[in-house]
Amino acid sequence: MKITDYEPIVGKNTIEELRLLGSKLSGKVVQNINSTFTGGGVAEILSRMVPLLTDLGVDARWNVIKGNPEFFQVTKKFHNALHGRKESISKQDFALFLETNRKNMLEMELYGDILFIHDPQPAALIERKKQLGKKWVWRCHIDVSNPDEAVWRFLEHFVVQYDAAVFSAPAFSRPLPIRQFLISPSIDPLSDKNKELPEETIDATMEKLGIPRDKPIITQVSRFDYMKDPVGVIRAFELVRKHIDATLVLVGGGAADDPEGEKVLAEVKERAGGNPDIHIISGPARTDIEINALQRASTVIVQKSLKEGFALTVSEALWKAKPVVASAVGGIPLQVRHKLTGLLSHDVEGTAYALRQLLSKPEYARWLGENGKEHVRHNFLLTRHIRDYLLLFVTLDHSEDVIYL
Amino acid sequence: MRDWLQKWSKETGWKGFDVFRQTTRIPSVIWAVTVAAWLAILVSTIPSGWEGYAGKGLWTIFALSLALSLLSMAGRLIKLWGEHLKAPEQAVRVTWQLARIIIVLATVLTLLEVWGAPVTAILMAAGILTLLALLVMRDIGPDMVAALQLSSSRHYVVGDYIKLTETSEEGYVTQMTWRSTIVRDSSGAVTIIPNRKLVRSTIINHGHPTKKATEPFRFYDRSHLQELTGLKAKNLREFVDILKTVPDSVVYYHTHHFLEEHHYLTPQPSNDFAIWVDEALGDEVLAERLASVDTFDFTTLQALRERHVGIIEDYLACGGSLREAAEGDEFHFVKSVSVIVPTPYAANDIREFLESLRSLSPGSLYFHVFESRLRLGRGTNDFSAWLANSLGESDLAQKIASLDPYSYTLDGLRSLLTQLIEKEIG
Repeated sequence: MKITDYEPIVGKNTIEELRLLGSKLSGKVVQNINSTFTGGGVAEILSRMVPLLTDLGVDARWNVIKGNPEFFQVTKKFHNALHGRKESISKQDFALFLETNRKNMLEMELYGDILFIHDPQPAALIERKKQLGKKWVWRCHIDVSNPDEAVWRFLEHFVVQYDAAVFSAPAFSRPLPIRQFLISPSIDPLSDKNKELPEETIDATMEKLGIPRDKPIITQVSRFDYMKDPVGVIRAFELVRKHIDATLVLVGGGAADDPEGEKVLAEVKERAGGNPDIHIISGPARTDIEINALQRASTVIVQKSLKEGFALTVSEALWKAKPVVASAVGGIPLQVRHKLTGLLSHDVEGTAYALRQLLSKPEYARWLGENGKEHVRHNFLLTRHIRDYLLLFVTLDHSEDVIYL
Repeated sequence: MRDWLQKWSKETGWKGFDVFRQTTRIPSVIWAVTVAAWLAILVSTIPSGWEGYAGKGLWTIFALSLALSLLSMAGRLIKLWGEHLKAPEQAVRVTWQLARIIIVLATVLTLLEVWGAPVTAILMAAGILTLLALLVMRDIGPDMVAALQLSSSRHYVVGDYIKLTETSEEGYVTQMTWRSTIVRDSSGAVTIIPNRKLVRSTIINHGHPTKKATEPFRFYDRSHLQELTGLKAKNLREFVDILKTVPDSVVYYHTHHFLEEHHYLTPQPSNDFAIWVDEALGDEVLAERLASVDTFDFTTLQALRERHVGIIEDYLACGGSLREAAEGDEFHFVKSVSVIVPTPYAANDIREFLESLRSLSPGSLYFHVFESRLRLGRGTNDFSAWLANSLGESDLAQKIASLDPYSYTLDGLRSLLTQLIEKEIG
């Protein structure tokens, strides 16, 4: 993918702006470091972003740290604990984390002028800063607003040594003595999940999934998890269904290897009670194209989460110009401005009310959907994400609030 | 014939007869002598071999004198024709060159024929060479013909500002050549437009710039990064205490963030303070008071901050609510870090300014209109300042300065500015 491929979507000005900013980083090497080349959101973002940065003339590289399975079990526990889940983490776990990081410090070539360290796994590499100098930035992709304090204190010891930290939402950050920047995540409009699809593909997918299109379709795309409140979605749908004939689709994959997911799925099926208007799509993960087609075929998209990270599924729906009803949690209010780019709700009744509004006023729903799409175009596409990173890199050499380059 | 020409030229006022007379006077003597010599040879008894050579010599003298006469005549007639039709100098020169080539070629061929050279073979070779030359010049030919058309029509000249309506290429004409017209736009970029394209296009010629600016307007692009201050408030007391102490860049961020994020959408931007008070504290009355603060009334961020602080303190003093935001709904104070980069675009006159304004990035438009006025404390927008100070367009500058930019989307604002300037320059 080349940066010019995005020009028809974001306009010539945006691409020119990126090139201009990219030229200001000439001669500098930006070294990204995370824990894996494949799987997971960070690897996905980097795999798209690094080639585009290179295309913009930025010398961006990407390396990963090495670790044994035990190390990654520990970092998985760290991840959960930082999200606020209770985890039992032993002294040996902390020791293994440090040992693996120090081993990588010795083995890895840290050559960047800017070292961009992603997430907690390689965070302790900062110990090389005293020896190497350079600019170090810690990119936190996770919500650390309510972390397990022991894990956060351990991690904080490293984080404060960085020149700057980057968080995805204001509420995700922590009080720190270093500069902290806010950079929201983004969606790639050219990925299978978001690209335009021919009508035949949408029709074929709906036929394959067995979802009739004779009624308005309300869809929630989320794994079967209590925090996504799929049962709440069914309850809201039932309230809507009293007045308006519609179909509900709940789609989520990966339940088979997640014991909690199976339990939630069973409860969802029980609550649906064989209602023919409720379609529960579980089992093997659906392809990105199928999810894309399902979202495009939907009349309204719901994201009735009780707790959320950034919830990029909302931006995905908005990008398809779909009217969205979503809970005002996590990063959702950044994406949905109530009554401007979608509707925010706080409980089952509120969700049902919002759904009824959208289904009974298609013009209003279309207006919200179109606004939502423009909102995502300007604020949540990969090009904006790249621009923010370029700005971050150039800002590292300046302390003033208005920087003339 | 001569009499008839003389009569006709007198009736029509055509000066060509004089040319004809002047350019044939001396050659006609040579022709008469040549004819006489030839007749003499015919009746003489010189050997037939000599007679042949003598004949060829006389033909050669006749052809050369005729060619010289025709060359002189053609030159003068073409000049006369050019003056009569007021044709451009270039067109006259080209026609004269063509005529000269034709006469010389015809003379050479005649001489070759007289001296028994293989003219057919030479003509064939010349034809093939001409075809080859045409093949090589097939791209250049139409441009050259178009150059003649453009030159004779004089729809535009060097120094004019032209715009091709079909392709939106525009700029000042810096050079006109046989193949193309060279146009320079406000970024300094040079466009080479083939002449054949120009003759098929609709061209708007805005003429020469009326006024040059004493200083060019240099366009800057602006992007911003959001820096978290780590400060947050869960009720109005905490909020107002923090608001009093944060840097101006925080006040700027929260009074302009909504506008920046939704510049395409709403001409009625709110500020983050009002949105938070409404959505997180559920206080619609105070939210309305904060939302009604007209940012355009302020020329410093400190004054704007004091206005918001004053509204909240008055509200609290009158027993306003101190309800707390739910966990996760606290107000996070964020700072705007602006990065300003010069673009290649610069305007030396109002035409170039208008051209740049049409294609300006939203960040650039935003910087020159909003940020320069309030954040950089320039008191007015950059456009008005330049129009008044460097171009002497005080009225236009005042019209733009009095526009409330907060009442428009960025695209709406751009379109309004464009209309104002177009109206001004006609």
